[in-house]
Amino acid sequence: MNVFTCAPDLESILSCIYVAWSSGLGHKNIKIESEPIEQLSLFDSYTHVDKDHAMVQSVIDAVNLKISPSFYSDLAYISMAYEKDVPDLMYRLMLLGFAYGPGVINNTCYEVVVRFHEIKKRLSNESCRFKEVSRFHEVRHSLYVAHIEPKSRIVITLGPAFSDRMPSENWMVIDDVHREAVIHPKNSPFYLRTLTEDEFNELLMTEKENDEYTDLWKIFFDSIAIKERENLKLQRSLFPLWTRKHAVEFT
Amino acid sequence: MYELRNGFTIKEKLEILSDAAKYDVACTSSGSERSGKEGMLGNAVASGVCHAFASDGRCISLLKILMTNHCVYDCKYCKNRAGNDIPRATFTPDEICTITVEFYKRNYIEGLFLSSGIIKNPDYTMEKMCETLRLLRTKYMFNGYIHIKAIPGASSELIYSAGLLADRISINMELPTNESLSRLAPNKTMTNILKPMNRITGTIAAHRAAIGKDARMERAVINEHLVNSIFNSGADKPLSGIDGSSEPLVDTKSLIKTLTEDNTFAYPADIKDTRLKRSFAPAGQSTQMIIGASGETDLEIIHTAQNLYKSFDLKRVFYSGYIPINEDDALPALNTPVPMLREHRLYQADFLLRYYGFQANELLSKERPFFDNRIDPKCDWAVRHLCDFPVEVNTASYDKLIRVPGIGPTGVKRIVNARRYGRLNFDMLKRMGIVLKRAQYFITCNGKMLFNIPLEEKFIINSLADSEKKETVRIGGKDITIKQMNLFSDFNVMSS
Repeated sequence: MNVFTCAPDLESILSCIYVAWSSGLGHKNIKIESEPIEQLSLFDSYTHVDKDHAMVQSVIDAVNLKISPSFYSDLAYISMAYEKDVPDLMYRLMLLGFAYGPGVINNTCYEVVVRFHEIKKRLSNESCRFKEVSRFHEVRHSLYVAHIEPKSRIVITLGPAFSDRMPSENWMVIDDVHREAVIHPKNSPFYLRTLTEDEFNELLMTEKENDEYTDLWKIFFDSIAIKERENLKLQRSLFPLWTRKHAVEFT
Repeated sequence: MYELRNGFTIKEKLEILSDAAKYDVACTSSGSERSGKEGMLGNAVASGVCHAFASDGRCISLLKILMTNHCVYDCKYCKNRAGNDIPRATFTPDEICTITVEFYKRNYIEGLFLSSGIIKNPDYTMEKMCETLRLLRTKYMFNGYIHIKAIPGASSELIYSAGLLADRISINMELPTNESLSRLAPNKTMTNILKPMNRITGTIAAHRAAIGKDARMERAVINEHLVNSIFNSGADKPLSGIDGSSEPLVDTKSLIKTLTEDNTFAYPADIKDTRLKRSFAPAGQSTQMIIGASGETDLEIIHTAQNLYKSFDLKRVFYSGYIPINEDDALPALNTPVPMLREHRLYQADFLLRYYGFQANELLSKERPFFDNRIDPKCDWAVRHLCDFPVEVNTASYDKLIRVPGIGPTGVKRIVNARRYGRLNFDMLKRMGIVLKRAQYFITCNGKMLFNIPLEEKFIINSLADSEKKETVRIGGKDITIKQMNLFSDFNVMSS
C-alpha cells in the first residue's frame, strides 16, 4: 500500500489527493492519511505531500465542474473533522462522485457515504454544542471573549451564529486547541485568525477577570434544578465533561 | 403573606424567584425564526437552543423566573400559594431587563421566560409583566426569544399586548378536568383558562394569515404523508371548537362553541405595541398539565392533549410530574414518589400524536386507560396489532413504516431515500440508525425476518420489556419492579 500523508487542513488534503490521484498507482493501492502518523507500518511506503495552491485549485475546479459545487462544499465541511480517516474518505467520495455524479452523496448503500454522513452529523453536532456552551466573559467595557476546546476545527462555523446573535457587539471566540480565533468587530463582518504565541498567551488571561454576572449565573444554575428529580447521569450525557472545560457554572 | 425584609439584593431575588419558577416545565426556546439586526441584541432560532443542563438533567434555555412570588391565590399544589410561609420577593422591570441582557450577551441563555404569582389582582400583575417586556424590546433593544405566561383572568387588552411583545404565550391548564381544577385550584376556573386560550389561538391565526402564512401553526413535514395525523384530519375544520369525532375530556364543549363568536383580541393595552410591527406570538402557544396530583387516567390526559392540539392549535402540551411540596388532604402524601415514568410515557405518547400519525384512541381505551410501564406506547400499540405486521421494508408506505417500533421520522426518510438506489438489507438498516432491537419483531427485508421470531404477543412483550428494563428502571426508580423472566412461561419452551 502506498500511503500519502499531509497536514490535517483542507488545502494540504486537496494537494495530497491531487498527488495520489496522478501517481497512477491504482486507487486500491492508495491510502491518504493525515499527520502525525501514530504508527508506521512495515510494509507500506509513505510519501509526504506539502500544500500547493495550483494543485488545490485544480482539484477544486474539477470537483465543481465535473460533480457539483455543493459536493465540494460537503468535502470542505468534513475536512474540519479530527478523525484520521477523513482525507481517505474525501478521496473515496470523489471517486464515487466522478463515477456516479453528485446524487451519490445520498446513496447510503455505499459504506463511504454512510461514513461521510456520520462525520458530517458529528461535526454538525459538535458545532451546535459549542454554539450552546461557549461562555463569554466581559473583559473590558463591551468586549466579550469566549474560550472553547473542540475536537475539530469548528470555530469558523460559530462565526455566522454569533454574528447574527450579537451583530452590534465586539466579541471573539478562541479555539484553545487549534489556536484559531473568530473575531467580530461591532457592526462588521467576522473573520478567522490564526493566533501567534504571544496573542494566545495574552488571551488566556481573559477568563481570570472577574465578571459579576458569572456569580449570578451560578446562583440561577443551582436554584433552577429540582432536587427531587436529580439525575447527574442524564446531565453528564447531555452535557459531557469534555465540553464543560470553560462552562463557568461548573467552575 | 409577608416579605422577610424589603431590601433583598439582586442575588437573593434571583435565588428566590428562580427557585419559585423551577416547577414550570414549558420553557423551550423553539418555534420562532428571526435574524439579528444591527443596533439590536439577539435573534431567534426555530429549533431552539439549550445552553446548559441542570443537575436534574433538564435543559436550561431561558432565564426562567417569576416577576414576583407574592400570590393572592391558594392553589393547593403550588409552592407559592398564599398560605405558604416562604420568603417573598419582587423584581423590578429594570432588574429583569438587565439580567436578561447581560446573561444573553454571555451566551448563558436564549431569552426570557417570565411568569408571576398574582400580586394584587390579575390585571395589575399582567400590566407589570407587559411593562417589563416593553422595556426589554424598546429600551434594551432585545430581539431574542421571550416566553410569557398569561395570567388567567387578566383583561384581553393586556394579553394582546403581551402576545405582541413575546414570541410565545402560554396559559397553564394545570389540571385536565374541571372537577380537579375546582378542587385543587379554587381561584381558577376552566372559563378563565380556555377563554383567553381560544382568543390567543384566533389572534395567532389572524396574524399568520395577514402575513401570508397558513393560519395553522407549522407542523413536522412528515405529517403531510400521514393520512391519520391529528393535524390533517381536522385541517378543514374551523380553528375553534372541539372536534366531535374525538372524546372531549375537558367538559367544555358547549363553552367553546359559545366562545368561537368572539375569538380574537381587538386592542392592545398600549398602542405603541402595535407600532413595533411584530406578529402576535409567532412561536404559538403552549400549556402545561400536572401529572399525578389528581386522579385522571392517562387516557383522559392524552385525549385532552389531543383536543388541545386540534382545537386550539397548541404548539406543545407539556406534562409535569407532580412533586409533593405541600401537605394537604386533597393532594398525594408528601413522601409520594415523583411519577417520572408516567410523565415519560405521556411525552412518548405526545410525540406519537405529533410526529407518527397516531390518535389518542388508538393508544389507549376505556378498558386500558393507563400506559404499560414495561414498554413504550408505540411498542404497546404494535404488539396489540400484530395483524398489521411484519411490514416489508423495501415496499412499505410511509404510513406503515412510521408505525414500526424502532423506526422514527428520520429513519423512514433514510429508508425511502435509500430504496431508490437498491434493495435494503438488515446491515444497511443498522447503519441507517434503525433500532433493530425493537424493529426486528415487526419487519422483513426481502421477505425474511432477522431471526426466526414467533409473532406472538406475550413473547414479544417479554422480549421488549427485557431489552428496555435498564431504561425503565432508570426513569421509574425504585417503584418499578421487573419480573424475573421464566424460560418456560415467557418463551414457550416446552419441557420434554
